[in-house]
Amino acid sequence: MKQLPIIMPQLGESIAEATIVSFLVKPGDFAAADQDVIEVETNKAAMNVASPCGGTVISITAKIGESYPVGAVLGYVQLSPQEALRLGLDAQESAPPPSPANGAGRVEADARPGVQPMVRGLPVPAHAAGASYMSPRMKARMHELGLHAADLAGLPGSGAAGRVTIQDFEKFLAHLESSKLTSASSMRVAVADAMRRSWTRPLATVALPCPLEAMLAHRKMSEPKIGPALYALRSLALALAENSAPAGRLIGNKIVHPPSIDVGFAVEAEEGVLVPVLRDVDVHPLQTLVGRYNELIELARQRRLPPEATGGSIATVTNFGTFGLTWATPIPLPEQTLVLGLGAGRKVPSWDDKKNQFVPVTEANLTLSFDHRVLDGGAAGRLLARVVSLLQTPEKL
Amino acid sequence: MSITYLEAIREAQAKALADDPRVFIYGQDVGAFGGAFKATKNLAKEFPGRVLDAPISEDAIVGAAIGAAINGMRPIIEMQFADFSTPGFNQIVNQAATLYWRTQVPCPITIRLPSGGTSGAGPFHSQSMESLYAHYPGLIVMTPATVEDAYSMLLEAVAIDDPVIFCEHKRLYYHLKAPALPTEAMPVGKARIHRPGRDLTIVAYSAMLHDALAAAEELAGEGAEIEVVDLRTIKPMDTDTIMASVARTGRLLCVGESFPWGGVTAEVVARVATEGFALLDAPPQRLNAKDTPIPYHPKLWLGHRPTAESVCAAARHLLQM
Amino acid sequence: MVLSRVLDDKMAGLYRAGKIHGGVFLGRGQEALSVSVGLALREGDVFAPLIRDGAGRLAFGEPVLDAVRTFLGSALGPMRGRDGNVHRGRPGEGLLAMISHLGAMISVVNGALLAHRFQNLKGLVGAACIGDGGTSTGAFHEGLNQAAVERLPLVLVVANNQYAYSTPTRRQFACDDLADKAAGYGLSARRADGTDLEDCLRVIAAAVADARAGGGPQMVVARLLRLCGHGEHDDAHYIDPQLKQSPLGRDCLAVAEERLLREGWADAEAIRALRQKAAREVDKAVATVQREPAPDPYKENWCALASRHLSEMFENPALSTHS
Repeated sequence: MKQLPIIMPQLGESIAEATIVSFLVKPGDFAAADQDVIEVETNKAAMNVASPCGGTVISITAKIGESYPVGAVLGYVQLSPQEALRLGLDAQESAPPPSPANGAGRVEADARPGVQPMVRGLPVPAHAAGASYMSPRMKARMHELGLHAADLAGLPGSGAAGRVTIQDFEKFLAHLESSKLTSASSMRVAVADAMRRSWTRPLATVALPCPLEAMLAHRKMSEPKIGPALYALRSLALALAENSAPAGRLIGNKIVHPPSIDVGFAVEAEEGVLVPVLRDVDVHPLQTLVGRYNELIELARQRRLPPEATGGSIATVTNFGTFGLTWATPIPLPEQTLVLGLGAGRKVPSWDDKKNQFVPVTEANLTLSFDHRVLDGGAAGRLLARVVSLLQTPEKL
Repeated sequence: MSITYLEAIREAQAKALADDPRVFIYGQDVGAFGGAFKATKNLAKEFPGRVLDAPISEDAIVGAAIGAAINGMRPIIEMQFADFSTPGFNQIVNQAATLYWRTQVPCPITIRLPSGGTSGAGPFHSQSMESLYAHYPGLIVMTPATVEDAYSMLLEAVAIDDPVIFCEHKRLYYHLKAPALPTEAMPVGKARIHRPGRDLTIVAYSAMLHDALAAAEELAGEGAEIEVVDLRTIKPMDTDTIMASVARTGRLLCVGESFPWGGVTAEVVARVATEGFALLDAPPQRLNAKDTPIPYHPKLWLGHRPTAESVCAAARHLLQM
Repeated sequence: MVLSRVLDDKMAGLYRAGKIHGGVFLGRGQEALSVSVGLALREGDVFAPLIRDGAGRLAFGEPVLDAVRTFLGSALGPMRGRDGNVHRGRPGEGLLAMISHLGAMISVVNGALLAHRFQNLKGLVGAACIGDGGTSTGAFHEGLNQAAVERLPLVLVVANNQYAYSTPTRRQFACDDLADKAAGYGLSARRADGTDLEDCLRVIAAAVADARAGGGPQMVVARLLRLCGHGEHDDAHYIDPQLKQSPLGRDCLAVAEERLLREGWADAEAIRALRQKAAREVDKAVATVQREPAPDPYKENWCALASRHLSEMFENPALSTHS
């Protein structure tokens, strides 16, 4: 009867080994194909190893508490005749395959037929297979037309392993010619480029509802009127002044801390978004920022922002609530780690423990979208919570 | 009225002898016998004293041609088989090829090499030597694939002031026919596009051209339009035409009958990869004979060299990349 | 001969002073034989001198400047720096430029003689010089055989100087006398005493006359001793001292001078004056050439074909030294 080894699987990118936590079966038990049989733990999480086929568990050679590398043999399952038939194997094969001395490397006697490469000879390198591979000709054409891989997303490829061939590409272009085409403004193209570059990072978003009563009351009394985004901007600056790490940039294995708390804010301007910047926001009280803030908005709308008013910000605030949106996941600028979003305020029912009933409150979602390489959910949540709490005492801003 | 490749070569020699008193033919059995392949049939009679039988001394044959050329003659040498040019290799590459560069005296000799494999000919009557000679500076290497080119390129070879290695393919001698001799010719050094295409370029030369064309026919039935380029001259090589073809198709397969290490196919691929990298949509491919001496037995021989079938397979493989 | 010897000595001196790039090959000891060949030839003949034929070249008409320019790598020499030392010539004027492969020049001379025949030029001969070592090559055999089969007016002059580099003749051929080989080609060879100018002049003249008169290929084998190394890099320590002491080891220049004096055809003063004249000529040539430019790779036409339109450019244009 043919036996198949239970192999330590590839548990995640950059995971090289895992520790045995417990056995979910014992020798003699029947296990179905892909049934979890061993529990293991990596430095990331606890995971399970599944049976390679349906059959009887013959032996578990791994030990609890020991670590084994990916590809190591942990035990053996004997194929049931039905499984042998299903997998197209001769179930009468007697000797179990020899297990490598230290368990490293896959055992050759694998039941399932291997993936047949479409290209004979040297295997196509990982980065050169599939839709992401661009031939020299493709690259040259793309460069000629000012296109990026993002422009080809969703384009089906007829080449080896699904890659886009030059013929696919030229057909696509010809097809475009027959569709309605309008010119994208240079602003649009610039934003597209920035978003594409930003997206090369792993981005995540967290959100908290923020009670607005305090801020709205303060605003009613202000003259001139203070924009809601400015409240958020000043709160963010103060929170970052307390701990600037979340706004740092990760370059290699170093966190580059911001030199000063300069914060930008998004202004919609004709086919795109501009981001004027207020400098040293942590140092200036809210009242002193209002004039400059309004001035910058006006300049932005007229596309007359001076160079010293753009660039160099460590975070951006965007008030997507003005579009009526309650929830969004903005993308931080390519050179920034954080973007704080402010959703539309609305009256929602909120449970009041004291009154033991729902009461109406005015609140808006505050979102924080961030480069997940620099901070995790916890730190993001703490930053956001601090901003929310600062917004509850607007007179102190 | 039809004329074979071999007859075209004879006609060209007859014309050269008639038009230019400086031309003479020198080689083994070329006189009254008319040559091993009858390439000089009747020429000794038509042009008495100008078609000389040589002893079996390839070194001295080439040396004498060089000496005659220095003194104003324009000799055509016939090597009995390309394979036998190796005893004369020294004179060809060290004397003829360096004469002009060293002394500014040109060396207008033409060396005809019956080249390439025919069934049952074995290792010493089947070789393709063009790559060896093309490697040396100072030589021109021609590989005509058609009856018309055999005629016009031989005439041009005699007219050129430099040593020309003229590789005639034996398999084409009696079987390739044309309705008439050409009245005009493409210049030496230009490649010809025998079959325009769109999906893949096959660059071939000499007899392999015909295998490539057969493969292209078959693949046309499968919906692939193959462009076939005939190099005509190996050195100088018409890189521009090759590049333009690859620009159209993005895929290159170079086919040659010679051994795989280096050689014409490697040269073509190297040039396209160096100068036309951005034209390639897939890695360039080569197809050659095996890295083994040419076998005698017809079955082994067919397995040793590229054929229309193997060209088809290589092209299909490349189309799928 | 004197001029040749003086020139050789000068080149050797320059070599030792580090002024010459590459090898220097001299004809010391062979001047008598070589000059006889050069003197017997006339305009229209073809001459393929070999390594030690400096004297023959001068007698044939090669300017001293050609030798000095080629050794010193002047861009103005006949080879323009593209080849050096004894690989020089003017093929268009009948003086062939040898290649290093010994024996290869014989068939080239044959070809030139075939051309004369086609062109109906009568009364011309071709002379090829070769050493004992060169007679072992296939090219020698093919060339001599070809000349014999075609009955060409080739004069083949074999200088048996007893050594091919370090190889003595007993390791080079098995017959007693190289002249014996002639019979194998349907010829008979003449023998000459390579140390005696008079003998060389007489034998060579007769051979050339025979060839000119239509007597077919002629072979002359002269015996002498090489009085220098294979090249100036070689100290020739392997040469048998007994040979050096023997009559074979006599310096043909000394023998000739002695003869001149004995016969009263020249006195010591005249001989000395001849040497001085030669020395002045050589020194002047060297002084001139040392001021001449070397070839410039950036101005060089790197084209090996006479048909320029058929040459290819291989190098990266950005890095090229192509003009």
